[in-house]
Amino acid sequence: MQSQVRQETAPTLAAIGARARRIIRSPQFRFGIIILLPTLLFYWFFHYKLILEGFRLSVLRYNIQDPAKSLFVGLGNFESVMKHHLFMKSVGNTLSWSLLSFVIVLPLAMIISISLATLERMRQFYQACIFLPYVVSLLAVALLFKMLLDAEVGQVNRFLRDLGLPTSRFLASTSAALPTLVGVASWKRIGFYVILITAGMLNIPEEIYDAALVDGARGWTRFWKITFPLIARTQMLVGILLAIATLQVFTESFVLTEGGPANATYMYNMLLYNEAFMKLRFGPASAAALLQFIVIFAISMFQLKVLEPKWEY
Amino acid sequence: MVGSRTKHSWQPKLVTLLGRVVTHGFLLLFSAIAIIPFVWLFFGTFKPYRELVSSSALLPVDWTLENYREIFTRLYFGRAFANSLILATASTLTTLLTSAATGFLFGRYQFWARDTLFSLILATMMIPGTLTMVPLYIFISNLGLVNSLYAIFVPGLWSTFGCFLMRQFIADLPVDMFDAARIDGAAEWMVFVRIVIPMAKSPLAALAVLTFLGSWDGFMWPLIVINDAKKYTLPLLLNSLRSLYWSRYELWAAGAMLTIAPVMLLYIFSSRFFIRGLAVTGK
Repeated sequence: MQSQVRQETAPTLAAIGARARRIIRSPQFRFGIIILLPTLLFYWFFHYKLILEGFRLSVLRYNIQDPAKSLFVGLGNFESVMKHHLFMKSVGNTLSWSLLSFVIVLPLAMIISISLATLERMRQFYQACIFLPYVVSLLAVALLFKMLLDAEVGQVNRFLRDLGLPTSRFLASTSAALPTLVGVASWKRIGFYVILITAGMLNIPEEIYDAALVDGARGWTRFWKITFPLIARTQMLVGILLAIATLQVFTESFVLTEGGPANATYMYNMLLYNEAFMKLRFGPASAAALLQFIVIFAISMFQLKVLEPKWEY
Repeated sequence: MVGSRTKHSWQPKLVTLLGRVVTHGFLLLFSAIAIIPFVWLFFGTFKPYRELVSSSALLPVDWTLENYREIFTRLYFGRAFANSLILATASTLTTLLTSAATGFLFGRYQFWARDTLFSLILATMMIPGTLTMVPLYIFISNLGLVNSLYAIFVPGLWSTFGCFLMRQFIADLPVDMFDAARIDGAAEWMVFVRIVIPMAKSPLAALAVLTFLGSWDGFMWPLIVINDAKKYTLPLLLNSLRSLYWSRYELWAAGAMLTIAPVMLLYIFSSRFFIRGLAVTGK
């Protein structure tokens, strides 16, 4: 009885061994391992380990000289970030930035896209022009607009004066600085959203319009009843991308205003950057990053839930 | 009869004509708003400081190349340009390679926990860079890479978006292609080089545009890991121009123009290609 069992299992084990050898010796396996191992190592060391480390740092008073001696402070870092004198200010500024971007970018991108979609001739040309600012370096654009918008010697104010219009101090004024920055950022990025929305519109099959025409829908009716609902998904995508991008705004205000005047353009990511790399307070910086992560992660999950079922290329 | 028909049809025609004129006018206006700052910048680089800050005229009166000369002599401009070019080229090539290989692996191979592993890779797209910024800085400085271009290059060896893009594309390629090559006795890396890469040319090209521009533009992370002016990339050099030469607008103009120029030249000749490349990010 026992020997019989042994006889039965022995060839099975041998078969498994042979199969394993066959797999291991196959060219696919070797090639696969050569790609898979470094990929997994990279994602472990440059993503997952860092994320875990980020969580750990957020509850430590990090000791730069000797990291092993870092003290556990619980939620102390979160408390210290939230009590930071610029925390509320930076959160408010960042939310205002997002809101203003929505107000400027969504309707404008929509109108430009509709205009583009109705054209056959020249569409490529206009698209290429409007997309140009998105392609070029943000730092170069920032310097360019800092020159153009200079309160005293800027070309924009000179232009306004020449036309007899009222001038503005733009970046130097506490009330105008934030809208000016959002204007520059929108100018830079609107082409991207226009391309997305136009692509969404042109993807609507012609048959739907033909069917609508038979039913007597044309012009504005056609737009509101057919085009608009069909591109609602693209709109949603644009809105989500815009939210994620604007909540992480840094470069524009860092370069154009350094957060000023009087912290009117001090963004959340500047607070994070200053805590981490100016004051070397790694703990509070990690806590601040974690708070931001929660918000952005929630938006991303929402995006997956709303958009994933129809996601395609 | 004929008269009444023409009378009927001219009205909508006029309306559509009017509509078309308005549409074109509107789009021309926006195109102009997008382009004029660059035109102003281009001519501005040839103006001396005093003219740049006082003249409303677009064209320079006193044409000068002094601004360009000065930016190369006062700052390490040539070096920053070379650094940016080397970094962007190296990042693009490695990203194409790692994305295509990882895409091939996850799109074509069957193995244990494949889909779970790929979901774990994709999940990293939802993590904002700021969460890993501080730990990454500690890691990079422990590796002794601070103040070297490797500090920017190494964390971007794999692009999650690139892997995603390539996997989608490669998984949709016909299976017969691969089997035929394998039956002919092609080694696996030959299948990869001879079949996968040529077939995936268009998403690879889109990814190349994206990666190159991303690297050319990178600012926040380079700002954190590079302090040595000789290791500056172009965005860092422009930033230092702003703080060290804070009112020398003629130098700013020359620096900004030279940073924009290579990308803009490429763009003028292949804008459709750029648009297609960048539009895949959100679609």
